Amino acid sequence: MTKKRLIPRLLQLVLIIIGVYFGFILLFDVALHQIIPKSLLTMYMLFVVAGTAMVFTFTEEGAQELVGPIKALVEDPSKKMIRNVVFVIVPLLAGYYTYTSMLPSFEAPMELRTIHPAPPSKFKAFGKSYNLTTLQNPYRKFEKEDPAKFKGLVKEGGDVYIKNCQYCHGDKLDGNGPYASGLNPTPLNFQDVGTIAQLQESFLFWRISTGGPGLPQEAAPWISAMPVWQDYLTEDEIWKVILFLYNYTGRAPRSWANE
Amino acid sequence: MNNRRLGKIMSPVNKLALLTFCTALFMAGSAAAKPGTAAKGKEIYDKRCTWCHGADGAGDGAAKDRLNPPPRDFTSGNYKIRTSAFDDMVPTDDDVFRMIRDGMPNTAMPSWSSLLSEQDMWDLVAYVKSFAKYDKPPAKLVEYGTQIKSSAESIEKGKKLFEEGDRCVECHGKAGKGSASKRLKGDAGERTWPRNLTKPWIFRGSNDPKDIYTRISTGIAGTEMPSFADPKSKKKLTEEERWHVANYVASLAKGKDKTVNAENTVVKADKVEGELPSTVEDERWEKTSPTTFYLVPQIIGGERFFTPSDDTITVRAMYNDKTVAMLLEWDDRTKSIPGDDAAEKIADAPIAEDGVAVQLPVEIPKEMQKPYFGMGDATHPVNIWHWKSGTKDAGETVNLLNSKGFKEIEKRDAAGVGLKAKSSYVDGTWKVLITRPLTTSSADKDIQFSEGRFIPIAFAAWDGSNSEKGSKHTMTTWYWLLLKPATGSKPLITALIVAGLFLGGLLWWARSAKSAA
Ligand code: HEC
Ligand code: HEC
Ligand code: HEC
Repeated sequence: MTKKRLIPRLLQLVLIIIGVYFGFILLFDVALHQIIPKSLLTMYMLFVVAGTAMVFTFTEEGAQELVGPIKALVEDPSKKMIRNVVFVIVPLLAGYYTYTSMLPSFEAPMELRTIHPAPPSKFKAFGKSYNLTTLQNPYRKFEKEDPAKFKGLVKEGGDVYIKNCQYCHGDKLDGNGPYASGLNPTPLNFQDVGTIAQLQESFLFWRISTGGPGLPQEAAPWISAMPVWQDYLTEDEIWKVILFLYNYTGRAPRSWANE
Repeated sequence: MNNRRLGKIMSPVNKLALLTFCTALFMAGSAAAKPGTAAKGKEIYDKRCTWCHGADGAGDGAAKDRLNPPPRDFTSGNYKIRTSAFDDMVPTDDDVFRMIRDGMPNTAMPSWSSLLSEQDMWDLVAYVKSFAKYDKPPAKLVEYGTQIKSSAESIEKGKKLFEEGDRCVECHGKAGKGSASKRLKGDAGERTWPRNLTKPWIFRGSNDPKDIYTRISTGIAGTEMPSFADPKSKKKLTEEERWHVANYVASLAKGKDKTVNAENTVVKADKVEGELPSTVEDERWEKTSPTTFYLVPQIIGGERFFTPSDDTITVRAMYNDKTVAMLLEWDDRTKSIPGDDAAEKIADAPIAEDGVAVQLPVEIPKEMQKPYFGMGDATHPVNIWHWKSGTKDAGETVNLLNSKGFKEIEKRDAAGVGLKAKSSYVDGTWKVLITRPLTTSSADKDIQFSEGRFIPIAFAAWDGSNSEKGSKHTMTTWYWLLLKPATGSKPLITALIVAGLFLGGLLWWARSAKSAA
């Protein structure tokens, strides 16, 4: 064989694969707080193994170096002891893997849904039709024109919120209300940069007035616990609660003007 | 709920020490700085706390009528979780700080540490205390003597004291589940429920024995939970006795069955050869694996309901070649029997029957789409099996409903499809056994169960002593039911064959290598 390496090629290969495996688990489970489904992990790992094996055996020499230790194990009489051990362990592992993978798995089916589906251009609520492309919060203008009045409107919106929304979205607007853990999908966290800060007020108006059942198919309306607020609140109250959501979290709505 | 569980990162003393140190650094030498400033606290309070506690701290914010327990009226001077002596109402600053930082589990009072800085919270302490004009620290603190470590012996002594003369049993019930023999009220006139001591995650002040000791010593201000350190009390306990009782109460939390595990979303029904259990007491239920879900109040459609008393439901299931059986179990502090004098006295009028319901899709979905979780929708009807506990004059019943949303409900004949239910109520826990044949003759109207498929399932419960009736109830969203296929010997045989093949292959390789060499 050629030059001596610090870590043999075969070990390198194994280490890389193990490293990637734990990398995936770390990324999903720890960083993203989302347990990676087994089937997905298996598929990813298949690609990884095939890919690294390809890179490692790219040259004749590389391939030689990789299979060298394996060949030696089988052919070299001085390695008899290890060989016997390997010959017991490998079939056992293969048997065990077959056994566990044939046991029926009881992992619940994955449910994928779009969290922020594309809104319709028009929708019906309060017995009339709204055009989402032109719809605006009628109270937003007071933020500049009449700050005292605006403050009052925000306060009214806060009262609506605390009476109706905090059970799910939380008194801190962090999606962690007293009943949040009993719901799947969980109520959205308005403090997060990925929710209302990315949305227009008209989008919120649509989502709040038509609730879970108002969602398009790709957002799985049948599982969303978000109530249909046009049944309980007035149009005015919805616009005010929207003011409150932005004011409390210190975020600004996305608007055409800023784009 | 569980995400509001307390996280003790640092002891209050350490925290205070650290804070003093930081403040000292900040103020560069100006010693004896007060930890919090009421004026700064007011600013934060006006933005974050008025919604519930009210602008003047009187507990009269907008949310007050929809919360039980109601937001605290700070002008009353009542603090539930405090370490000052039983006859001194004033809490320590650490007590108030702790509740603001950690929140009060199972109430609307959240933990504020994720949003506010430590200094913000100390400023709030100063401001909140000023509503009751508490400007001095308490004169006396709870005395602990020497802590007695938990042991079988101490727990046994504690149990005796807990039951003796109905000391705690009067309110917390024999099993500690809060099945009171009388109706309790708080100072604000609200209904109060004695704590279910078997569920430690709902304790406002943690179920560490030292915390429990403290609560027994001080009582819980503003509620009927009395102090047992008060020498005038007939039920008084000495320091040593209080440690035994605390150890006993802490030991009540041993059952894991009723703890929600968010990852376990599947009710797994085991396959049984022969007869299914015909009673709730059957020992075979102990061997099945339970799945527990949170019950949340119905605040989504129709007349809403904001003040639940039931909080979780535990489900077990089995099936054989003909029938499926489900055991539903939930803690309910009151057995609600309309027409029964004792039951009516404890209940909020008008009393109604207790109940539980199972919801299943009429057709098991082939794709992702399920019926709307709230009683189905126009194109995806659901079956609802609704059990009711009965009145003084009539026994328990089980009804079968088909619904397409909560406005379109069809009553059907439960007996006609073989739907049956049987129940028991013991020490604050309902157990209901519901059975139905796997298949019925009306496949277009009833779910037809089949092995190995993930079937959406949801639950609802009613506490008739807590004004729960009709759309006012607690519920879950969709979870899964799986009739677990019997595994058989196939995996084992295949595994042996594979292992054999591998061994054979390896041996052949070694031999051919040898002969080549
Ligand atoms: C019963 C629980 C519940 C209540 C009460 C509730 N929501 Fe929701 N809400 C949800 C859930 C669950 C979602 C996420 C699923 C979805 O998108 O529909 C959600 C989503 C939303 C969204 C979409 C946010 C986004 O980023 O797309 C908005 C806006 C919203 N809620 C506002 C409100 C307002 C305002 C109220 C009170 C008037 C309220 N919700 C009350 C459960 C609730
Ligand atoms: C969504 C409503 C809500 C909001 C907002 C809220 N609280 Fe509370 N708070 C409650 C409720 C409800 C209780 C009573 C719980 C109980 O009695 O078990 C309570 C109790 C308290 C207590 C009493 C602790 C004890 O030992 O008895 C303190 C102190 C307190 N809150 C401080 C605050 C502060 C400070 C804020 C603002 C940062 C705040 N709360 C915001 C609902 C709220
Ligand atoms: C007169 C009725 C009554 C009696 C007697 C009583 N309790 Fe309580 N207890 C209550 C009530 C009501 C609550 C809930 C208070 C509230 O709403 O926060 C409670 C709450 C508790 C808590 C919960 C503390 C927390 O951190 O949440 C514990 C522990 C407790 N009691 C233990 C006991 C023990 C031990 C005894 C007997 C030595 C006892 N109680 C006797 C009525 C009673």
